[in-house]
Amino acid sequence: MAVDGTTAVSGRPEAAASGQPAASAPAPDAARLVGDERLPCGRLVSGVWDQARGLLAADASHAAGCPYCRQAVAGLAVLDIATHTLRRDEPSARTVADRVIDAVRAETRLGRLVPLDDPGGDLRISETSAAKVLRRAADRVPGVRAASCRLTCLDDGSTHVTLAMTLAATVDEPLPPRAVRVRRAVAYAAWQELGLAVIRIDLTVVSVLEGIRSPAVPEITPGGGGRP
Amino acid sequence: MNDERGRGVPGHLSDDLLVTRAAEGDDDAFAVLVQRHSGPLLALAYRMLGVLQDAEEIVQEAFTSAWRRLPEFRQDAAFRTWMYRIVTNRCLDVLRGRRPVVPLDAVVEPTSSGPRGQPARAAESAAATRALDEALRDLPPAQRACWILRELHGLSYQEIAHVAGMSEQTVRGDLFRARRTLMKEMASWR
Repeated sequence: MAVDGTTAVSGRPEAAASGQPAASAPAPDAARLVGDERLPCGRLVSGVWDQARGLLAADASHAAGCPYCRQAVAGLAVLDIATHTLRRDEPSARTVADRVIDAVRAETRLGRLVPLDDPGGDLRISETSAAKVLRRAADRVPGVRAASCRLTCLDDGSTHVTLAMTLAATVDEPLPPRAVRVRRAVAYAAWQELGLAVIRIDLTVVSVLEGIRSPAVPEITPGGGGRP
Repeated sequence: MNDERGRGVPGHLSDDLLVTRAAEGDDDAFAVLVQRHSGPLLALAYRMLGVLQDAEEIVQEAFTSAWRRLPEFRQDAAFRTWMYRIVTNRCLDVLRGRRPVVPLDAVVEPTSSGPRGQPARAAESAAATRALDEALRDLPPAQRACWILRELHGLSYQEIAHVAGMSEQTVRGDLFRARRTLMKEMASWR
């Protein structure tokens, strides 16, 4: 609670209601503004709750003998215990998660189609499917995870495409050597796994990756057959 | 956790990274988000509505609509908060459209079995929990939403204000009134 509930006893509602500004007038009772309640003994109900829960130092000399404070915390302990139980009593979400995933997979967005580098020039692949393969290639480089992956066709009648990828990376080792590895892994996957003629790869590190110790899947080292 | 339904996506990726991928149509990344958030969201909807089937429908609709709207999602709020917002608002719509239920004029009596026949739980504690659940359903929808989001899901006042589309001050007021009512209901269980 933002309101200090333990000692503030000066706010008199009738004074606040008179609406006098000025430094001499008591401040409006902030408790009322936030929906809290001030007990006849001057304590705020929220403050008495916090004391009973041990969140605020208890005003022992007062609370023990005060009927208002005692009444204000009646039911608090049993409410807290029941709340704790209710928090753990969650229905299983397995069915609903499965249904959502099935529905989403049935509604796959293909995105744009990009040309594959075949002699006839009429084979295409959806950008979404290609991006999955390329992100996975980048993910294999230790300390790196792919975020966005966009492919752009050149408007020159060729099958050449450019690739823009954003990355999250750990900062435990220099970025440039890893960027080289990502570039190599992505170029290899583009050519070997998909047959895309990628002529440029733009990489941007957009966020810091934390808590990643090892690659999720073994890194595939290009055997020299990749291009470009 | 490498989730089997998010094929090939490392499970420990942050929500932001998964959202970026999913917004570009990567359904595997979206599957990981669904696995990660469906439990809390279903619990929220179920606590709000009290009917599991209605809760499941709302969560399913919320995810499906999020999947379609992801390309426009600007990530100025976290995915989790965005989903909480969609589910909370759908629940509030449903509750406002429902006829008021018969008010519970007395706290239910303790019984010997738990809410769903869980014998291991102490009978009295189970009955108190059930009493709380029922008292919760008698709260006005906005108060109920504030209390559930704060006490069961641990959202901050600021997050609740964003999720429920209220001012922070209204959230504090609703939360205070909800707590006071629930404590009154629970006082007989001391």
